[in-house]
Amino acid sequence: MNFEAVENSLVAEAKNAGLEEYEVYFMESSGTSAETLKGEISSFSSEVSGGISFRCIVGGKMGSASTELLTDEEMKALVARAIENAKNIESDDKAVIFAGSEKYAELTLPEFPAKDTAELKKLALDLHNKITAESEYIIDGTSATVIQNSTRIVLINSHGLELSTDVGVVGMAAEAVVSKDGENQAAFALESGFGEELVGNLAKKATADALAKIGAGEIESGKYDVIFCGKQMKDILSAFSSVFSGRSANLGLSLLKGKEGEKIAADCVTLIDDPQKKGSATQTAFDGEGVATYTKNVIENGVLNTLLYDIASADKVGKESTGNGQRGSYASPVSVAPYHFYLAGGSLSDDELLASMGDGIYITELKGLHAGANSVTGDFSIESAGFRVRDGKKCEAIKSFTVAGNFFELIKSIEALAADVKFGFAGGFTVFGAPDTLIRQMSVAGK
Amino acid sequence: MFKKELLEEMLGVAMSTGGDFAEVFGEHTRSNLIMFVDGKIDRINDSVLSGVGVRVFLGQRTVYASTSDISREGLLRCARSAADALAEGNAPISICLNRKNITDIHPVKINPVTANIGNKTDILKSACFAAKEHSELISQVQGNLSCVEHEILVANSEGLLVGDSHTRTRIAVSAVASDNGENQSGSASPGRGMGLEMFDFISPVEVGKSAAKTALVNLRAGYCEAGQMTVAIENGFGGVIFHEACGHSLEATSVGIGMSEMCGKLGQKVANEKVTAIDDGTIPGAWGSVNIDDEGNPTQRNVLIENGILKGYMVDRLGSRRLGMAMTGNSRRQSYSYEPTSRMTNTFIANGPDKNEDIIASIEYGLYAKQMGGGSVNPLTGAFNFSVNEGYMIRNGKICEPVRGASLIGTGSKIIQDIDMVGQNLDTAQGMCGSSSGSVPTDVGQPLIRVKKITVGGR
Repeated sequence: MNFEAVENSLVAEAKNAGLEEYEVYFMESSGTSAETLKGEISSFSSEVSGGISFRCIVGGKMGSASTELLTDEEMKALVARAIENAKNIESDDKAVIFAGSEKYAELTLPEFPAKDTAELKKLALDLHNKITAESEYIIDGTSATVIQNSTRIVLINSHGLELSTDVGVVGMAAEAVVSKDGENQAAFALESGFGEELVGNLAKKATADALAKIGAGEIESGKYDVIFCGKQMKDILSAFSSVFSGRSANLGLSLLKGKEGEKIAADCVTLIDDPQKKGSATQTAFDGEGVATYTKNVIENGVLNTLLYDIASADKVGKESTGNGQRGSYASPVSVAPYHFYLAGGSLSDDELLASMGDGIYITELKGLHAGANSVTGDFSIESAGFRVRDGKKCEAIKSFTVAGNFFELIKSIEALAADVKFGFAGGFTVFGAPDTLIRQMSVAGK
Repeated sequence: MFKKELLEEMLGVAMSTGGDFAEVFGEHTRSNLIMFVDGKIDRINDSVLSGVGVRVFLGQRTVYASTSDISREGLLRCARSAADALAEGNAPISICLNRKNITDIHPVKINPVTANIGNKTDILKSACFAAKEHSELISQVQGNLSCVEHEILVANSEGLLVGDSHTRTRIAVSAVASDNGENQSGSASPGRGMGLEMFDFISPVEVGKSAAKTALVNLRAGYCEAGQMTVAIENGFGGVIFHEACGHSLEATSVGIGMSEMCGKLGQKVANEKVTAIDDGTIPGAWGSVNIDDEGNPTQRNVLIENGILKGYMVDRLGSRRLGMAMTGNSRRQSYSYEPTSRMTNTFIANGPDKNEDIIASIEYGLYAKQMGGGSVNPLTGAFNFSVNEGYMIRNGKICEPVRGASLIGTGSKIIQDIDMVGQNLDTAQGMCGSSSGSVPTDVGQPLIRVKKITVGGR
């Protein structure tokens, strides 16, 4: 794998083909992970991958093609395929190879020195042993996973723009499987970062969550006040994040089309998109088209300030790109996506929020969001599990009920948010976050 | 793809730290995705995936290394890093590979990747325009045509060297109907393990119309009532219920580590006696079919449940070591970046004894789930959920008004007991199934079935 070795021949091919505007996007990742089972390392994997995407403008249309095969011969084929594809594009999106922003943000990335095979294995075993030591009810199937990944991105184009960035992600996951009173349950806890404190926290959390599910009962159908715990609220935000895409709105696929400047959510709702969140390993100063990224309040006190745009979708409505033209991988087309996308925390602690609800349901698990949520309509109907809450206190575990509603109504009916925002794990540069969130009178289908 | 001698050297290096089995998986995949939106061909995504994965076993432990660097140095480095991850040492062993030829039971007539782009855009446009022109209420149509040619090679320390090519083609149309500031959607997405000859018997126009019809039905539908009721689930994608509720629990991936509610139940009655379920990777040209699996074993027809009795699991090499059972040709992976594991191919409930009209007529009050959406399952507990994309209430044995927003939730072990009527119109539908070894094409299927009681989530 050597980008530098083929870079010159790719640029030469582009020039040979008479292309005036083109862009080369290179992404290279290497990662390792270790996983345990029955107190041993059961699997260890290492990965090196990467490739080049080539985009060019032919007759006013954008063509693209990508490859993992980094040979001079393949570079020739890559340029030819991109040109051929451009000739078949009918979209009237403005095709732009970006000349560059005036200024790019300085990043403050955390340092995680790379761990070698032995260190990773040890860390995974430590986590596994910590989980096992948590409870006498832990059984086989319990596992610990440790991953580290680093990615280098290089973007160069015919305007002379040259950008590059390095992203490193490390994380640990604990899956606790317990057997108690003739019932098996499992729970999963995942955090980015490495460290002894994290090992302890993950083991505790996964085990406690698994045990708490034992003996869960069912609940009568009806209307209930509900708190989605932060991790679940951020998953709901993730499932519906495409409604904030300017491209989706332009195509009539988001009901937020034409709503910029209008009130779309409760006063307490502020939704932030931050590409350079302090302490995060997945910060970036530029997007997949080379546009500088910046922090914005997408919703501020309930008012939709802006949707998210890439160059083409912004141009359609006479705006500037918001720096949200991302690429999931080198082979993905540019698409609109957020960065650290999170609901700002309110003033209450998690316990105070529970107290303010009084009676209701605390939801700690949502399943099949990818299938049960429709971003075009906003409707969702999702299998859930959690706890019954009475007098502001968490009581018995409950399971096998669905919570149904509509995302656009839900953001209007948020009554309060806790202060502590919980973030998920990064997918590319996208990380979702939310605090515990209280919503009154949601439809619940149980027994 | 690679010279035999180089593969032998890689396997020797991979085994050099004491592994008892090593395997090299090579892949060269060309894919071409044409996307349509807003009345126009919008984007064409064209990619080449190329790389190698090396796996080494020692008992029930595995290590895996993969690389997209297929230079000689890159390949040997990959084999070395797998060996080093297993243990210390350096005693390469000598491996002698024998090439095995296979019979291609899924010959491709028109290679979809190299076919003329203009022909492909015409097919896609005819489907999308058919959806758009179906009604004035159809406000947006998105579509794509996906063509993949996936060449693989498997070499292992037992001397096996085998290669295959899997081709697949799929068209997907999603239509949005709008009225009074409200959106509803419908979709259709048939695919086959074939080239463009798939369109000799699947009409793109009908695919487009079908997506538009579902969107229109949902636009005039009220919300589904919540509660427990009898549900009739239609054929085709209705089979996702078995895939999610039961199929995943029969994969050695979960059975082999005791994480399945189907553990230790071979020979026992696990389902209603009307239920026979099969996983068959050999159906010519089917979406989930392949000649050989990703460990180089021929796929086969595996009877999972026969007349309610559990007959077998889907077993890969690691699962075979864990369970002490034979491999079943079910080892699959999305790409060389993934370590393979046991997965479904074409999985379906076979036709049963009941007439379809009797099934509907038998329901006094319930839900007719005409088209199912996706879902997910926890293999440990069997808890599942599915969304219903197109549904109708049944009253007094008749299909009545459409309803939307419904989902079905329950547990796998219970629902397969509760399938108390099985009809006779078996059909399959296509999906991409996600699991630890990535996303792989799988067919789901069944005839119309009746579930006597299940929780319906509505509002």
